[in-house]
Amino acid sequence: MEQELTDLVLIQNVLNGETAQYALLVKRHQRFVFTLALRFSKNREDAEEIAQDCFVKAYKALGTFKQTAKFSTWLYTITYTTAMTFLRKNRLNTSSIHDEETFLQLENQTSGFNANSYEKQDSHTFLNLAISQLMPDDAAIVTLFYKGEQSLEEIGEALHMEPNTIKVKLHRARQRLKEKLQYLLKDEVKELL
Amino acid sequence: MNTIEQQLWDYLDGSLEESAKKAIEEKIESDAEIKSQYEELLKLNLVFGEMDLDEPSMSFTRNVMESVALAPAPIAMKTKVDKKIIYCIGGFFLVSLLALMSYVLYNSNLHMPGFDLNVNFDFNLDKYITPTAVYSFLFADLVIGLIFLDQFLRKKLTHK
Repeated sequence: MEQELTDLVLIQNVLNGETAQYALLVKRHQRFVFTLALRFSKNREDAEEIAQDCFVKAYKALGTFKQTAKFSTWLYTITYTTAMTFLRKNRLNTSSIHDEETFLQLENQTSGFNANSYEKQDSHTFLNLAISQLMPDDAAIVTLFYKGEQSLEEIGEALHMEPNTIKVKLHRARQRLKEKLQYLLKDEVKELL
Repeated sequence: MNTIEQQLWDYLDGSLEESAKKAIEEKIESDAEIKSQYEELLKLNLVFGEMDLDEPSMSFTRNVMESVALAPAPIAMKTKVDKKIIYCIGGFFLVSLLALMSYVLYNSNLHMPGFDLNVNFDFNLDKYITPTAVYSFLFADLVIGLIFLDQFLRKKLTHK
């Protein structure tokens, strides 16, 4: 019964004093928020802290949520700003998050692997590995587009960017993912694709 | 930016206009290279759609709920901004201003010799306060009161 309740109904119930129902909203969105946080932090512990902080902030600001928009879009906006604040506080890759040099740096960090050792792993593992090597915002855009059921406009709203910029970045991210998958899988990419 | 690959991605995303959609469909049909590129992107699109979401720790929800338990319960903005509070604040300022003005006027020794209105304030009020006028005034009050009561009851019913 509770699983059938929409986000908006759950929010209304929480605002009416049934605060325990917030747990249902958390359970429903935690995987996505955590994955999104992981795209920025590249570290499970930090991602969990960001995601937790994001849900606490969302709870405190639930009264200001305009119920005309999707709750998920609003939540992803909070996740993005929380992740940015966290990165700035911890002085991790923040100044260069949109910078090509960071991309190269991140690429170098994981470039020492041997593609042969991944032979037996499935396409999901390779895909996740390729995504982890993208620039944080590109990785977030790809995730939001394919798993968050968000339009370019909604992604733009969540990441404070123009929809056209999102479109360009999405195209670039797909090209890079394709290249990375080809590099990671070498000859097997033909079988995968 | 408007490369054939971008057009193919737009076609896969369904974001092309009807004329552009037909044009790319024709290209896919007529050009073997574009067709092969399209098929590759189509498969890639399916792979991207199957990406996994990461799972946080088992205690994640519990940790969040423990943290939010310490915070005050959220309230809708509409409830937060109660009209009565606004009216009270407005009333308070109005009364304060009137009191201040009265005090200043009472204590001032305002004298304007060149300004004499010569208005006769000696009204014969009894002439105007007739039983008909009083009944009309009370009737108007009653009608206004009933309108407010009706609105109040309607609001209560809607909330239920």
